[in-house]
Amino acid sequence: MTPGKKRLNYSYYPGCSLHASGREYDISTRALFKALNVGLKEVPDWFCCGATPAHNVDELLSLSLCAKNLSLAEQVEGDLAVACAACFSRLKTTQHHLKEDEEKRKQVETAIAGPAALDKPVKHILEILAREFGLSKLEESVKKPLLGLKVASYYGCLLTRPPEVPELDDCEDPSIMEDILRALGAEPVKWSHRMECCGANFTLSRPGVVLKLSNAILESARLAGADCIMVACPLCHGNLDIRQKEIKDAYGAPDSTLFGNIFGSELQQGAPKDQRDLPVFYITQLAALAMGVPSGNLGFESVITDPKPLLREKQLL
Amino acid sequence: MSRIGVFVCHCGENISRTVDVEQVARAAGKISGVAYACDYKYMCSDPGQNLLKKAVSEHKLDGVVVAACSPRMHEKTFRKAASAAGLNPYLCDMANIREHCSWVHEDKKLATSKASDIVKLMVERVKKGKSLAPITVPVTKRALVIGGGIAGIQAALDIADAGHQVVLVEREPSIGGHMAQLSETFPTLDCSQCIMTPKMVDVANHPNITLHTFSEVEKVEGYIGNFQVTLKHKARSVNESKCTGCGICMTKCPKKKIPNEFDQGHGLRTAIYVPFPQAVPNTPVIDRENCTMFQSGKCGVCAKVCGPGAVDYQQEDRFSVEAVGAVVVATGFKLYSIDRKPEDSPIQGYGEFGYGAIPDVIDGMTFERLASASGPTGGKILRPSDGKEPKQVVFIQCVGSRAREKGISYCSKVCCMYTAKHTMLYHHKVHDGQAYVFFMDARTPGKGYDEFWRRAVEEEEAVYIRGMVSRLYQKGEKIVVMGSDIQVGVQVEIEADLVVLATAVQAQDGADQLAQKLGISYDKYNFYSEAHAKLKPVECATAGIYLAGACQGPKDIPDTVSQASAAAAKVMTLFSKDQLERDPVVAKVNEKYCVGCLACKKVCPYGAVEEKEIRDRQGNLVKVVAYVNPGVCGGCGTCQATCPSKSVELDGYTDEQIMAMIESL
Repeated sequence: MTPGKKRLNYSYYPGCSLHASGREYDISTRALFKALNVGLKEVPDWFCCGATPAHNVDELLSLSLCAKNLSLAEQVEGDLAVACAACFSRLKTTQHHLKEDEEKRKQVETAIAGPAALDKPVKHILEILAREFGLSKLEESVKKPLLGLKVASYYGCLLTRPPEVPELDDCEDPSIMEDILRALGAEPVKWSHRMECCGANFTLSRPGVVLKLSNAILESARLAGADCIMVACPLCHGNLDIRQKEIKDAYGAPDSTLFGNIFGSELQQGAPKDQRDLPVFYITQLAALAMGVPSGNLGFESVITDPKPLLREKQLL
Repeated sequence: MSRIGVFVCHCGENISRTVDVEQVARAAGKISGVAYACDYKYMCSDPGQNLLKKAVSEHKLDGVVVAACSPRMHEKTFRKAASAAGLNPYLCDMANIREHCSWVHEDKKLATSKASDIVKLMVERVKKGKSLAPITVPVTKRALVIGGGIAGIQAALDIADAGHQVVLVEREPSIGGHMAQLSETFPTLDCSQCIMTPKMVDVANHPNITLHTFSEVEKVEGYIGNFQVTLKHKARSVNESKCTGCGICMTKCPKKKIPNEFDQGHGLRTAIYVPFPQAVPNTPVIDRENCTMFQSGKCGVCAKVCGPGAVDYQQEDRFSVEAVGAVVVATGFKLYSIDRKPEDSPIQGYGEFGYGAIPDVIDGMTFERLASASGPTGGKILRPSDGKEPKQVVFIQCVGSRAREKGISYCSKVCCMYTAKHTMLYHHKVHDGQAYVFFMDARTPGKGYDEFWRRAVEEEEAVYIRGMVSRLYQKGEKIVVMGSDIQVGVQVEIEADLVVLATAVQAQDGADQLAQKLGISYDKYNFYSEAHAKLKPVECATAGIYLAGACQGPKDIPDTVSQASAAAAKVMTLFSKDQLERDPVVAKVNEKYCVGCLACKKVCPYGAVEEKEIRDRQGNLVKVVAYVNPGVCGGCGTCQATCPSKSVELDGYTDEQIMAMIESL
């Protein structure tokens, strides 16, 4: 901290995943912010934002859920920090929609019996780390640089799209994750599937779709020489981490096409398929590790694809 | 007492449908000073004009108001008729009861009363009007052509062949422009250089053409018939009069690995270079940023090997002033940068297409160079990354064009045709290769154009896929193109060896600055605006300046050449007279009352206001006043409205006239 400068303080909306399947994201986020001496105070009595299913069922419901959470967040000082990409997207989308649609805003405000807190700044932790805390300060705070760790940073669908809503980075060619990785001393790889969808909430209803899409992402990361993948979304983490074995079973054979090729062009055949396991890290896990947080406090034990062998190999454990 | 005549036109039914023209004529007859009023079905027709002429002499009219359409349409017609009847044409005016009344209203009663009011206004204005005489200005019969591409070359040759002197300015070291870069041209597939290079030689050898390459327009002053243009001749570091073009300097230059701009960065050149072997003039230029001599002071090889001693490291930028009567602007276009969003640009990039990051994603002009016999591969289609022959090539159309969300809404017009050409060139050179084209729709209007496109699709086996590409990514040696086929309704993925993007045509860099120097208008994309899309397509709103080619908007070669010849014809028309007649509706300054604040100078959009010194007989400065150059004044009246001391008045629109109009209501 620069002397005399006010300490950064945020209100914090973890979202359901971070209290359940993505606990390690929550744990590591709190650990990281503590290590950086950035305040994080959980919004009292928050509840589910509706995530990806609610807006498919009832728009008013999904907007009202977020609006209510935003008004709860008003009780805590500081901009609202959100770690889950889906929560972030829904909260920002709600603000965006309600600002543009007066009538809907009135409906929502009736439903939640109060104002919708449209001006509460909602920030994804990527923004907080790269822009508000700052890359150079982040770099200075590193105690254990992630040297030699080749990371494929995975943005997924929601962090940058649609561009007018999250306003996080260039929607087609973002760089915020790579910038953070470089500050942490890691080596971001250039790869093709940074922005492809992993299948997200089809994970229960259409697992076949998820396997296909996630396979393409993993394969592309391996092709680019990545040791691991970094995500900022518990849905992406779920699909890429938990399903690696299933994917291997389904797509283990030498490559065929993904979508099929209607013109029958010759594809590269015969190359043995790379089946390495790719640990999937949350941004906060890697960052906290670099800040010297003990690895036992980062939830590494609760993921499926064990990251420890890789971290040991890179002498980060 | 005035004797004004009012002629109310029905304009067929255009006016009479909503305005009771007879009533308007009756009401006009009752205005004080109106000696005659009538209505007629078509005032602009021959009988209508005769009616006006007859009335002027029979009723001894001293002013005429024609209540009809916009003065833009027929003011000239009626002023000519009035003049034929012996009246000063500037005492004939029009009351616009069509565009300003019948076309924009529905209630006949209200429209009729409004039409009567408009007529009343114009009668009052004409009553206070004065006879005006056209202003004559001399014409310098020498033309400036800015831009040495096919447009500038064609215009320069046409004007020069008509016997007039032409100054041709090109900012690059050689003329030729984009056309010289092309391989073959649609729809005939004839070699671009074979058409272009002889014309370039003609320009260089023409006795009436003075060619200034590596030069730019620095400043433009004056007005139609009398422009003074300052040219900046950038230091070439080679004395043009001494150089014989032997080229030994280029072969000996130790800096050999500079990307060649003419080959879109894919070929290499030396630090002292001509852009391409057929360059005109064949005089090299030193690229000071890349020259060891200029960077470190240690080299000087080219000067040592130059027999005639033409290399001159001390050369500096030089300026010259050219007096010309007309200017043809032919500055052409540039291709859209498809990389990430350029700084300070409203245009979004296409990061998802990987241009700049994936070496085998190239733009259309690069493909032209690959296909060109004089290009970096000698005309073999080889991909940039590893020099292999691509067996699957994907062409993507409308990259940047017609993409409002990315910032360009217009169609770039030439890409459908040149992509069809590219697929053919590719098929002719790589027989076992396959070309795919992602397109939105094929726009091929033009003589022989649709036939050409059909040939690409039906005979030359290009596979056209209607749909756009979402993104490209590198997969090993291949580039995976992910797109959709909206006709079949499936997602398509093609593993390509080479991807060619048909990127948007944009206005040339610095087009806006040049427009400001010239005082011509341009649109939000920096393309120059013509005076009227249909009736004055090659003229600018600023008199004496004409447009040719893609500086006005995307154009192909036939359109460009046609327009260049049209611009040349306009210049020749201008040069056919020794004196130019100009509209006398110009501002005049009352020097007695002018305090010289020059507020008018700041607001004049034509740059017509100058400072004038008033001196007594001993030559002592008495005061500075504003002076409106009648040759430049556009008659807009902004100065008149601005002047705090009411010392500027526009002839035909004096304060007295305007006040009379207002008071009449």
